[in-house]
Amino acid sequence: MAQTPIDAPVRRTLRVKPTTIEDKIFFGISTAAAYSSVVLLLLIMVFLGARALPTFEEQGIVEFVFGTGWQAANEPPQFSIGPMLWGSVLVALIGVTLAVPMAISLAYFIQFMAPKPIARATTVLVDLLAAIPSVIIGLWGLAVFSPVGAHWGQMLNDSLGFIPIFSNTAENFLRTPFIAGFVVAVMIVPIIASITREIFSQIDDDLIKASVALGANRESTFRKVILPVSASGIVGGVLLGLARALGETVAIFFVLNLIFDDFNWFRIISPEGGAIASLILSKFGEASETEISALLAAGVVLFILTLIINTIASFIVAKAQPWRNR
Amino acid sequence: MSVEAVARPKFAEPWKKTNQRSKLIQIIASTVPIGIATAAWLFAGVDLIVSVLLVLLPLQLIAVGIAGFLLKGRRGVPDAALIVMTYFLGTFVMVLLVSVLWSVVEAGFAALSPQFIFQNNVYVTPTTGLEIGGVGHAVIGTLLVVGLSTLVTVPLGVATGVYLTETRGKSRGVIRVLLQAIAGLPSVVAGLFVYSMLIVTGVSAYAGWLGSLALVPLMLPTVARVTEESLRLVPQELRNGALGLGAPSWRAFLMVTLPAAKSGVVTAILLGVARVIGETAPLLTTTFAANNTSINVFDGGLATLPTYIYNYVSLGFDTSIQRAWGAALVLLILVGILFGAARYVSRPKSLKAKKKKEKR
Repeated sequence: MAQTPIDAPVRRTLRVKPTTIEDKIFFGISTAAAYSSVVLLLLIMVFLGARALPTFEEQGIVEFVFGTGWQAANEPPQFSIGPMLWGSVLVALIGVTLAVPMAISLAYFIQFMAPKPIARATTVLVDLLAAIPSVIIGLWGLAVFSPVGAHWGQMLNDSLGFIPIFSNTAENFLRTPFIAGFVVAVMIVPIIASITREIFSQIDDDLIKASVALGANRESTFRKVILPVSASGIVGGVLLGLARALGETVAIFFVLNLIFDDFNWFRIISPEGGAIASLILSKFGEASETEISALLAAGVVLFILTLIINTIASFIVAKAQPWRNR
Repeated sequence: MSVEAVARPKFAEPWKKTNQRSKLIQIIASTVPIGIATAAWLFAGVDLIVSVLLVLLPLQLIAVGIAGFLLKGRRGVPDAALIVMTYFLGTFVMVLLVSVLWSVVEAGFAALSPQFIFQNNVYVTPTTGLEIGGVGHAVIGTLLVVGLSTLVTVPLGVATGVYLTETRGKSRGVIRVLLQAIAGLPSVVAGLFVYSMLIVTGVSAYAGWLGSLALVPLMLPTVARVTEESLRLVPQELRNGALGLGAPSWRAFLMVTLPAAKSGVVTAILLGVARVIGETAPLLTTTFAANNTSINVFDGGLATLPTYIYNYVSLGFDTSIQRAWGAALVLLILVGILFGAARYVSRPKSLKAKKKKEKR
């Protein structure tokens, strides 16, 4: 008996494209919005680059980024941001160095030591402090902390002045990188602490219980279990704080003396420092066309620096928090 | 053949730690160093920070270390160090942070009065007393500039978040990366960008809307990312259910997904506003801080609270800095309201919400 061959089932394509008008509009709007943010970024990048290009050409990229001196009145004008760039990095490094131990201690205290009501209150306080505008922290740094910090610097210089780090070229301990770094630390501690606390809170409780059941004490549980599990998340949080510190403008501007002609490599309690964002703020008001181009070029350098750090940070955080990108 | 019992370790039963002796040891270990350091500070004239860092901390480490050794043996010593360092650094940083809050509240309340909140600054010179003049115009300016910025950014940011979660668009990864990149834009660069594009070239004079424009790229990533995260928390089954019942995508989103993620989206908006309400640098470069009250965002100077604080700090007189503290308190209250609202909206409402959170 001859059987009529049955056609093999035809593979249908699943329709995922919207078919109705309304759906097309809905998806169209969201896609348009998403692309408009891309356009926004590209616009910013292109125009920043175009505006900054003349400076890069005239000064030479290497000379502009790593040289010293900012003479707008010279003919031709000379612009170099080396000391500012290093100053930004130095202040941010001091800030992060001070902030990280404090932030981790705070997060550990909230998550593993404090009784529940205290932990909850502290969490709210830390989250609120993370939202405080930096101009207020700058005002605090200028009016409240600067005299105290100068006094600490004086004492450090008196007792340990023979160590180059604590040497001071002026008889003045205000407006130093140390004070700026401390203010930045106060600014970023809540940020790092709240990220770290969230990461601590996501650690599987069974891991900690298992460690304690195996006879580990508090310290070895922290060192061998909690830290390794959360390390990359903490590093990501720290890098985010670092990027914030680098981009900070007003708070640093209030408490730091800008020196354009000389690198201050390590004298952290000497009133010489620099910060790119503060440079922009201090110069833009009476700047000529060429100087604005130079300031924008400085902004581009800062943007690229924070971009690199942010990218690394988001990569690490994404790796550390798989529950975020299911 | 007899089985010999294993000797009971000396420090077994770690949960039994509250007998008289251990309580006494703990009390001594935690009070004696504080007493000595306080005495050194008050009576021997040692500087406060020196006595905290060089007297209190080492003594506390030694004392708690000994206590740990007595109570738990060798294993107690590193524990003691960890506990001391945690308490020490935690307390230190909380003192700093509370000092920030307290100084704003204390100095701010000294400047605060009804006329400080409602009047503007037309007849005020840097040395004018606090009896006249205030931040009324700056509050209005802040609300206008941030409000306009919010009006532009929120639809854009929420729709971007929708694109990232609800569609299967090809460029989602790229857009996520780019949003991350915008988040790294230093605020002063955003301001300088608008300044050089629109003010230097003469398109517009200093005006409030330029400030709003400079705030958009700072606010957008926050709104988009938090929206994305809250939409992602909506279980896929809900969407599938709606679609399976025959709803088109847009109705499924508007009537099922969005209501489910409502609190998250509102939180995203509030966080975005809180992110930019205190931004100073972009406004300094784009809005001229006027002294009179103005509600025209598109023409003429417009004072905002952050620029007000900045200007009056820069003037450097005692009264002007007092004004800055007052303005800082007003700004802090605004941030506090936003923050409280965000917490109120995003609090877990029921057991179901709690379970969802745990599953995450």
